[in-house]
Amino acid sequence: MFVSELHVTKINKKHMKSFSIKKSGTDFLYFMLSMCILLGIWALISKITKAEIPGPKSTWLVFKELMAEPFYDRGPNDKGIGNQLMSSLLRVFYGFGLGSLIAIPTGLIMGASKTGMKLLNPLVQILRPVSPLAWFPLGLLAFKSAGGATIFIIAITSLWPTLINTAFGVASIPADHKNVGKVFGFSAWKYLTKIMLPYSLPHIITGLRLSIGVAWMVIVAGEMLSGGVGIGFFVWDSWNGLSLEKILIAILIIGAVGLLLDKFFNSLQNAFAWDKN
Amino acid sequence: MLLHGTKTKIMINTNCTEDILDEVNELIHAPAMETAVDIRNVTVSFKGKKGVYTAIKDINLAIYKGEIISFIGHSGCGKSTLMNTISGMVKPSKGEVFANGNLIKGPGPDRGVVFQNYSLLPWLSVYKNIKVAVDSVFKQKTHEQKASLIERNLKMVNLWEHRDKLPGHLSGGMKQRVAIARAFAIDPKVLLLDEPFGALDALTKSSMHVELLKMWNLDHREKTVVMVTHDIEEAIFLSDRIVVMNNGPEATIKEIVELHLPRPRNKKNIVHDPAYMEIHDRLLNLLIDKFSIND
Repeated sequence: MFVSELHVTKINKKHMKSFSIKKSGTDFLYFMLSMCILLGIWALISKITKAEIPGPKSTWLVFKELMAEPFYDRGPNDKGIGNQLMSSLLRVFYGFGLGSLIAIPTGLIMGASKTGMKLLNPLVQILRPVSPLAWFPLGLLAFKSAGGATIFIIAITSLWPTLINTAFGVASIPADHKNVGKVFGFSAWKYLTKIMLPYSLPHIITGLRLSIGVAWMVIVAGEMLSGGVGIGFFVWDSWNGLSLEKILIAILIIGAVGLLLDKFFNSLQNAFAWDKN
Repeated sequence: MLLHGTKTKIMINTNCTEDILDEVNELIHAPAMETAVDIRNVTVSFKGKKGVYTAIKDINLAIYKGEIISFIGHSGCGKSTLMNTISGMVKPSKGEVFANGNLIKGPGPDRGVVFQNYSLLPWLSVYKNIKVAVDSVFKQKTHEQKASLIERNLKMVNLWEHRDKLPGHLSGGMKQRVAIARAFAIDPKVLLLDEPFGALDALTKSSMHVELLKMWNLDHREKTVVMVTHDIEEAIFLSDRIVVMNNGPEATIKEIVELHLPRPRNKKNIVHDPAYMEIHDRLLNLLIDKFSIND
């Protein structure tokens, strides 16, 4: 009976594989179609505004120019788009990493203990809706540098989804799993590593996925305020230089990078989903 | 005449040996009547939204070492609650429970539990599911000792070749075999089974009964097995005694039925045993009031 059951699942998996290849093919087709819609709307708006907002074609020319030398460096206020992007990404990862280091342990405490939840939840509810811009002056005061302040605001605004998802994951551990720990006398460490973390890992990764999205969104606002190098500063600098093409390019790059970050965490989610395999 | 005489002689002789055997049997069984679990005056109440709910009331029961005992009753009669006072997951509101001479204050590795829904950790392989339990209970054992312990128990339930699979890839019967192997691997004196085969189909269930008895035999029938069930046939096939519970709330023990069916029992033949049928009828009468619809 077992053998035939296993056989059936194997066949199903094979089917699924060829099916998913087909599926990713049509998915790609849909993606390209949706890009066409975007270009169409963009061209239409450009036409209506009589090229006050540059169209895809003129933007493409500027993009080629920018990509010809993406990593040039001519002093502090004149750097290539690649450099801008890299320094933004670096900041996001510092801020996001710092935020996660705070969010995951705090979330574990909130999820595991009712007292912890009651004590920390009001704090979370009050701090969570605060805009990143409101935190900026505090960051400046605390870190005495615009760079430090930017990382600070990324950390403090991006940590909430991870924190809330972690807490939710831990709080929803089924009684069955907890009983295993009780009956076999698991130590606190064993309970943490063999039950609590594995169970809540998919939830934690979902939280991280949402958090990286927030972090990437905050970076532009942060860098507009802080200046220096970065994709946000690039947008502001292009506005001052009245190069709307560059702003549009920056917007598209920000969107594309955001999509890639999301895809990366999505694949992590699938890799650690013990419940779906 | 002569022939007849010898026959009588032999008969007398066999009678004598039977008497002696009985005595010997009693002597052998006397130490086996040692109490493994002692439930004294136990009442369990829960505080709910509608006030205090008393699940079981004033229960007294001595469970002997090496016996298989079943708690049977309707859903919600408190049989699981009673068993959880032995596992230590439920604290009695009144009274005390002793296991192996010690007052129970919480769950402990001297009492192994097999749950109805297997309770395997889905992110660990079959092997690792048993390993975490063994690691946690036998901290002083060497790596080799633990490995051979896991191997022996997995082979006993015929799952050694499936050791690297995740529980999600196993059938219900296989999962429950892993849970039983895990419970046996920590070598508890008392084994608690909470409706262990309730989620299995009838055929798988039957083979699991034999499997369980096999493990119990291999262990020289030293482990005390306490089982919660609502399956009369299952209770008769496995048990030495069956505790029939009244309906809750404030459930009590209605009757304790002693079974004197010889072991090893045969799944196929036992149903034709008059003693089996008598017990089956008695349990049915105890558990069911109405046997047909009153028109």
